[in-house]
Amino acid sequence: MAELSVVGKSVIRKDALDKVLGRTRYSADLKMPGMLHAKVLRSTVPHARVIRVDTARAEALPGVHAVLTAKDVPGPNGHGIIFKDEPVLVSDKIRKIGDPLAVVAAETEAIAAEAIKRIEVEMEELPGVFDPVEAMQDDSPKIHGDSNILALRKILRGHPDEVFARAEIVVEGEYQTQMQEHSYIEPEAGIAYLDEDVVVIKASTQNTHFDCREIARNLALPQSRVRMVQAPTGGGFGGKLDVSVQIHLGLLALKTRRPVKLVYTREESFIASSKRHPCRIRYRTAADRNGKLLAVDVQVVGDTGAYSSYGPAPITRLAVHAAGPYEVPNARIYAYTVYTNNPTAGAMRGFGVPQISFAYEQQMDRIAEKAGISPLEVRLRNSLRRGSVTVTGQVLDIEGSLGDTLIPAYETLLSARKNEALPDHIKKGVGLACMYYGVGNTGQPNPAGAFLDLMEDGSAHLMVGAADIGQGSNTILAQIAAEELGLDFQDIKVISADTGVTPDGGATSASRQTYISGNATLEAARSVKTVLLKEAALWQDVPVERLLLKEKCLYVDQKPSGVTVQQLVARCRGKGVMTIGHGWYNPSTVPLDDETGQGIPYEVYSFGSQAVEIAVDTQTGEIEVLRVTAAHDVGQAVNPLHVEGQIEGGTLMGIGYGLYEEMKKNNGSIQTPSFATYLIPTALDVPPIDSIIVEEKVDTGPFGAKGLGETSLVPPASAIANALWHATGIRLHSLPLTPEKVLRALESQKEWPDGNIAAEEDTV
Amino acid sequence: MPKKITIQFTLNQKEISLEVAADRRAVDVLREDLDLTGTKIGCGEGDCGACTIIIDGKTVNSCLVLAPQLDGRDVVTIEGLGNYDRLDALQQAFLDEGAVQCGFCTPGMLLSAKVLLDENPTPSRDDIMQSISGNLCRCTGYVKIANAIERAAKMKAGQ
Repeated sequence: MAELSVVGKSVIRKDALDKVLGRTRYSADLKMPGMLHAKVLRSTVPHARVIRVDTARAEALPGVHAVLTAKDVPGPNGHGIIFKDEPVLVSDKIRKIGDPLAVVAAETEAIAAEAIKRIEVEMEELPGVFDPVEAMQDDSPKIHGDSNILALRKILRGHPDEVFARAEIVVEGEYQTQMQEHSYIEPEAGIAYLDEDVVVIKASTQNTHFDCREIARNLALPQSRVRMVQAPTGGGFGGKLDVSVQIHLGLLALKTRRPVKLVYTREESFIASSKRHPCRIRYRTAADRNGKLLAVDVQVVGDTGAYSSYGPAPITRLAVHAAGPYEVPNARIYAYTVYTNNPTAGAMRGFGVPQISFAYEQQMDRIAEKAGISPLEVRLRNSLRRGSVTVTGQVLDIEGSLGDTLIPAYETLLSARKNEALPDHIKKGVGLACMYYGVGNTGQPNPAGAFLDLMEDGSAHLMVGAADIGQGSNTILAQIAAEELGLDFQDIKVISADTGVTPDGGATSASRQTYISGNATLEAARSVKTVLLKEAALWQDVPVERLLLKEKCLYVDQKPSGVTVQQLVARCRGKGVMTIGHGWYNPSTVPLDDETGQGIPYEVYSFGSQAVEIAVDTQTGEIEVLRVTAAHDVGQAVNPLHVEGQIEGGTLMGIGYGLYEEMKKNNGSIQTPSFATYLIPTALDVPPIDSIIVEEKVDTGPFGAKGLGETSLVPPASAIANALWHATGIRLHSLPLTPEKVLRALESQKEWPDGNIAAEEDTV
Repeated sequence: MPKKITIQFTLNQKEISLEVAADRRAVDVLREDLDLTGTKIGCGEGDCGACTIIIDGKTVNSCLVLAPQLDGRDVVTIEGLGNYDRLDALQQAFLDEGAVQCGFCTPGMLLSAKVLLDENPTPSRDDIMQSISGNLCRCTGYVKIANAIERAAKMKAGQ
């Protein structure tokens, strides 16, 4: 491959200058003349039949311009990423705390808040169900319809029962994971106004084109009369894939004919937004005496809360990744997505894989122990590699193996370890965890498009639907377009995530934008380049094959011709030939079979491995992470500084998941509705993180790149759990790994000095 | 209705005077009355640090300060740290080190870092982490932010 000029360089991201100056206008910063302020009345009970919502006293309040309830929703009053089971405004039944019952627009936020208090709701409370296993019983209260089982994903391969019956090593465990909150620092917010007959909504979001469809349907308008624009977005991590303020704002703007703004409080954000699925996992692994995996038997129940959101998709991804990045010829995996009256669980960075990783990675260490080999060896021995068949029957055509990330991660950690004298109550340990992650949606079409307009002065507009939520896609896509057209990074202006201007880019989720919108961008740039080179070939009387664009010039036979790209564009345009192009890309997949789960869920996979060293204080139970080495295969790092930023940020989020983050709830009520009670890592909680970028280029990726947004969050909790065992001999089966659980396990171990076994009874 | 009072203070090196209701928060007066929206609201409870401003050389969460408390004070917001023509060394370092992702915490981070470097031009890594420990960031893992502050300290020392 030719040497790259822009891709692979750590250019400074486009949006950073305004951000450091405090000039970036996020949704809550937007103001318009005559703007009203909105508030939402939300349910404070988890399950109830609504008899009456009386808004008369609210409407009578001076300064109130609209009070809307379910009867004011002209469309079907339902939204949701997969199933449309979540009401815009509840009409008959409350299914969770936080369900919206009415929205108000008023002159000020204070008046809107007062109006909300004046709305009277008459209801009959219903018994709720808050435990997903109870919810699966026939006699449990039903959330929707006559079953709480929203989905069952089955993956069946080979003959697991026969293998388990004769396997030399069988390891069995139950694992439990907690509800995690995305905790983006910007709460949900947006503004809506009318532009002639179009409802324009600017909001913090990860997917404008999905939002537009949901708004249009519920407002009973054609999509062409709804323009959804992404405002600069202060983080998402999956939590801004669901509709939040958008439809409410659209309804209020249409009703009042005035601009309306809605900004969630932090508590409202925590209560209303989706979360990471808490999961209960039963996991059996069979191996031969050498530690070679033979079969897995996995059952998972994921609590998806009151509405489906993305629900079945993370649980499907969990199932597909349930064997980890290892060759397992026989598998039975059953993964249930179950409704309860808990907060909704949907998409969160990692999308089910961090949960199942906590199980499969501890199983790997336990297999290693029984086989008498090291945790490193058991992983290398079982690694997926070229020609391996996954549990869905996909034959992998990949370069390398886990060793490409695992060995550098492990060796870097070992070389950084300090051999120091420790007090008796401090125990150090090392743990490993590996992962793989399919890029894009699971066995579903998930295309993205791009438009490119190369203008007379040699600069270009790149229009993409991909939402840049802080991860940097606008910068990455500009680098890809610039590289292909031989332009500078600064020559490309990206306009993104605006349904009035850009093509659909699909969701900023599933680590898909670098790969899928990147390929669409590459295709758009190529189509323009084809026009330019065709014209250049005529002009220079040289076959196209001998031409290329580089450093803003036309090159002939690898040498500058003296003709600039700008001159080429001018020549094309002068002859009436437009230098515009478009591209789209849809990764090639085969849907999973309903009964067996066999199929080709993803076109490419990203691999990664992390090694951690921890210190455990056996007096307090506290775990301190001393160092993480995180090696991730990204295909081609389009912007290495961005890649490191993703690895560092994801790793720290994974450490929070491993050690203390837990959205606690009681009968559907969130007990930790603030950053004072729901703890996320601060700057004082950051261990040294060594990012190791591995580049196994993929033929199908833009310049070889694949996705990386979620991968680094997957291993930390699992690696810490394995390090805890290495340090102390205790194995915890539930997340987070709190001091209380560590102490309890250490105490039980003292009573049963045979070690591992007693401590395994920690929770489940 | 709460009483309105007139307050006078120095804001980003300019003297200003304005009338505010006594119960309003400093963050709201900055954002709404003065259109200084670089000061963000992430929680409104003093937990996240997105609304960090500098009052008399010390960082405070402006969501926990009433507007009348600004009277007579010297106040710096992100809009006072630098501008397009002249970036503060911290701002330049945040760009160069890749310390910005979603950017919502960035103004508060920069102001906490500014107070640190004003007080201690040669901070250790621990000093840096301590100084920004009241500013939550969910994107970066803080590593590049700390790198940027280290770089800015060196840039300032070299000036």
